[in-house]
Amino acid sequence: MMGVLRRTFDRFRGAEEDVITLPPMDGAIRPNQAIEAAALVLEIERPDNLAFDGRRVLFSSGAEVLAFDPSQETAKPATVASFGSEVTCLAADGAGNLAVGLNDGAILFAAGPRKGRDIADRGVERSCPTALLLAGEALVVCHGSRRNAPDAWKRDLMERNASGSVWRIDLATGKPACLSDGLAFPYGAALDRSNNLVVAESWRHRLIGLPPDGAARQPALLDQLPGYPARLAPAARGGYWLCVFAPRSRLVEFVLRERDFCEDMFLEVEPDYWIAPALNSGRSFLEPLQGGAIKQLGILKPWAPTRSYGLLIELDENLQPIASFHSRADGKRHGVTSCLDLDGRVLVSCKGGDAIVLLDPRSKRGGANR
Amino acid sequence: MSALFEMQGITKEYRGVPVVKNVDFTLLEGEVHALLGENGAGKSTLSKIMGGVVQPTAGAMLFDGRPASFPTPAIARRNGVAMVFQETTLVPSMTVAQNLYLGDERLLSRLRGVYISAQQFLQSLNFHVDPTATVASLGAAKKQMVEIARAVRQKAKIIIFDEPTAALTPEEKHHFFALVERLKSRGVSIVFISHAIEEALAIADRITILRDGEHIATDAAGAFDRDKIIRAMVGRSLSGELYTHRGQEQVRSPGRRLLSVQDLTMGNAVRNNSFSVYEGQITGLFGLVGSGRSETARIVAGIIKRDFFHGGEVRFEERSVRYGTPASAVSDGIVYVTEDRKQEGFFETMSIGDNLYAGLLAKNLNSGGALVNMAEMRALADSWTRTLNIRATHKNARAVELSGGNQQKLVIGKALLQKPKLVIFDEPTRGVDVGAIGEIHNFINRLADDGLAVIMISSYLPEIVNLSDRILVFRQGRVVEEFTPGDATEERIMYAAVH
Repeated sequence: MMGVLRRTFDRFRGAEEDVITLPPMDGAIRPNQAIEAAALVLEIERPDNLAFDGRRVLFSSGAEVLAFDPSQETAKPATVASFGSEVTCLAADGAGNLAVGLNDGAILFAAGPRKGRDIADRGVERSCPTALLLAGEALVVCHGSRRNAPDAWKRDLMERNASGSVWRIDLATGKPACLSDGLAFPYGAALDRSNNLVVAESWRHRLIGLPPDGAARQPALLDQLPGYPARLAPAARGGYWLCVFAPRSRLVEFVLRERDFCEDMFLEVEPDYWIAPALNSGRSFLEPLQGGAIKQLGILKPWAPTRSYGLLIELDENLQPIASFHSRADGKRHGVTSCLDLDGRVLVSCKGGDAIVLLDPRSKRGGANR
Repeated sequence: MSALFEMQGITKEYRGVPVVKNVDFTLLEGEVHALLGENGAGKSTLSKIMGGVVQPTAGAMLFDGRPASFPTPAIARRNGVAMVFQETTLVPSMTVAQNLYLGDERLLSRLRGVYISAQQFLQSLNFHVDPTATVASLGAAKKQMVEIARAVRQKAKIIIFDEPTAALTPEEKHHFFALVERLKSRGVSIVFISHAIEEALAIADRITILRDGEHIATDAAGAFDRDKIIRAMVGRSLSGELYTHRGQEQVRSPGRRLLSVQDLTMGNAVRNNSFSVYEGQITGLFGLVGSGRSETARIVAGIIKRDFFHGGEVRFEERSVRYGTPASAVSDGIVYVTEDRKQEGFFETMSIGDNLYAGLLAKNLNSGGALVNMAEMRALADSWTRTLNIRATHKNARAVELSGGNQQKLVIGKALLQKPKLVIFDEPTRGVDVGAIGEIHNFINRLADDGLAVIMISSYLPEIVNLSDRILVFRQGRVVEEFTPGDATEERIMYAAVH
């Protein structure tokens, strides 16, 4: 009884579990304009899922998988495969395997010895493939949600779902094993030095560890991220790159707690105009504005509250942030969903900014106002 | 200029131990005379003799050419010698205006009239202090301003300022220097005691240097430079060691995020403040007085509480914490080394050992439980006196008998005994002599090298730039900008703090 009263009172005063606060972007995640200043490699609609097959850089754009030669000065993308649904994730290895996840839930091999094989027919959940990882003779699949397709990620967040799962599929036998369930939109995975899985759990703004055998889940390896994490990629100099596809904001955190408002919003407002994170913003006057004073003398301030942002975080081998690259409120290269380290130079796909850019982390970085 | 005040062969002894030895000092009419020296050099004692606070053991004084003797400060004040002490002498329960007019009240005075005239007077000095505020509610800097205002109001011919700028921000210092110029132009003579050598060089006409109670040198300010002064003060050059600008390559890499302050709010002092602190780094907090640095640190350490409604969150070791008392923070590993050591840092009538043992008791780390273990206390005193190089006249010296620098070392020792994970230093070298500053800096560096998270609040820019691995600038209750030593310059930091 007292607990209920205390919870109610805490909600009223905005304290304890009901406190609406956000971790700051400081220290290693100090804002800069590095992504905005990075060299443009390619302008293409909604690029995502950067991968390397040993020769070519693969990426997806809509329902197509494309590739380009990274050694060429100008990237000339060629179509590798086309599908009937948007490509939501892909994984490639040096052996020619190319696994693709689609928005309709299918997970299939688009190239290599297993070409045409649909993984989802083998008892793996078929709903929301968000990330794939080829790990030797196994394929790791992140399913974001049991209720929504990948392109309905905004709804999944605003519904506060935690129905995601991570699967490991033995490619030799085709036998699937669920490593973890009840996750809040797993959106990226990587292997650590001990072959444990590191998974980005987006709606809980953290990275968690999963043993390869699916034993007990480890505590959060990195918690309290200032945005929603997406794909993880190994870094050439050790450690990882973590893409953060949208920022957290106090307004969204507040709306997430207002269930009646959310229900009304789902019914009455187009998803693009919800008070929710976005891959890009500022393109329509129908979009919700946040706070006041975002513009002064017609100039959008870089520190203005925003629904979309571009952020790539470099993590050390212990998954602690050591550097970061940003495109801030006044930038365009938002919605960073994937990246690829090519011997120290990093390709970054800005899905919201319709661009693939090339970062040289060594030439970084310069501070900025908060 | 003729001599207004002369001291000839002044000696002062305590229990037969001389602290001022046969010192000659001359103050000219309308001059600013800086009195410099390490802590324990005898500056304060000499100035107290001048202000009638203590009596000399030997020697003579001349005021306006006539022999003078000031048995009490009141008599000195009546003769036109006012003193602004390092520790304020204001009545904490009275308002600023009442303190200004204390001892000068009319039989029938209207409180409103007192406030109005106090307001006008403070404004004329460019001091932004609310005359209706009680002194207890003011920060150290504002108390200092009131103290200065009181001395100016008494229309003294000689004003002795003992560390007047230690608690002031650079902006306030600027106002203070302008005030000194105004007083000088009115013919007031000023004795300026400070550890800030640059300030002495900037505003003094003449400089006198004392060392170990003895007169070392007196000359025009133009005849000195920083190195020459330091050599005279300590007998060696420390300038290069203390405030060299560190490059980015010397910055310690951050460890685990230990503290995350998120949207912290406390009235108007702290507003939606957010920042993180990492293990193995010194995080420097800079800002003007009133920018919310100390308040934020005090909330983190459980000394004051954040707003009850929507007060934000403090996360320590990835756990949300809300400390009701400093003891809970200490037991979690957060210690706060106060800016006001005399009020909050130690028990001044207790010995070094007693004070250190009190630190141990705060976290129940002592071996005797409810009983005091005297052997443990003595061992503690011996080991920390050695570790921190605390210099005292004897083993059982009381804290009050130590110099400012040694008192600060004692406060630091007391805090470190509690085996902290996060140490918050609030103005660690305020009122500390130049020799001890180096030792304290080395000590702070050692803590960060050992992997502890360190927050250092300082109003002295060279200190912030030299020591910090990250610099957070506060303005109006929140962090507004972050610098690394590589991109920080004093100008950029100050610009962020002011604009």
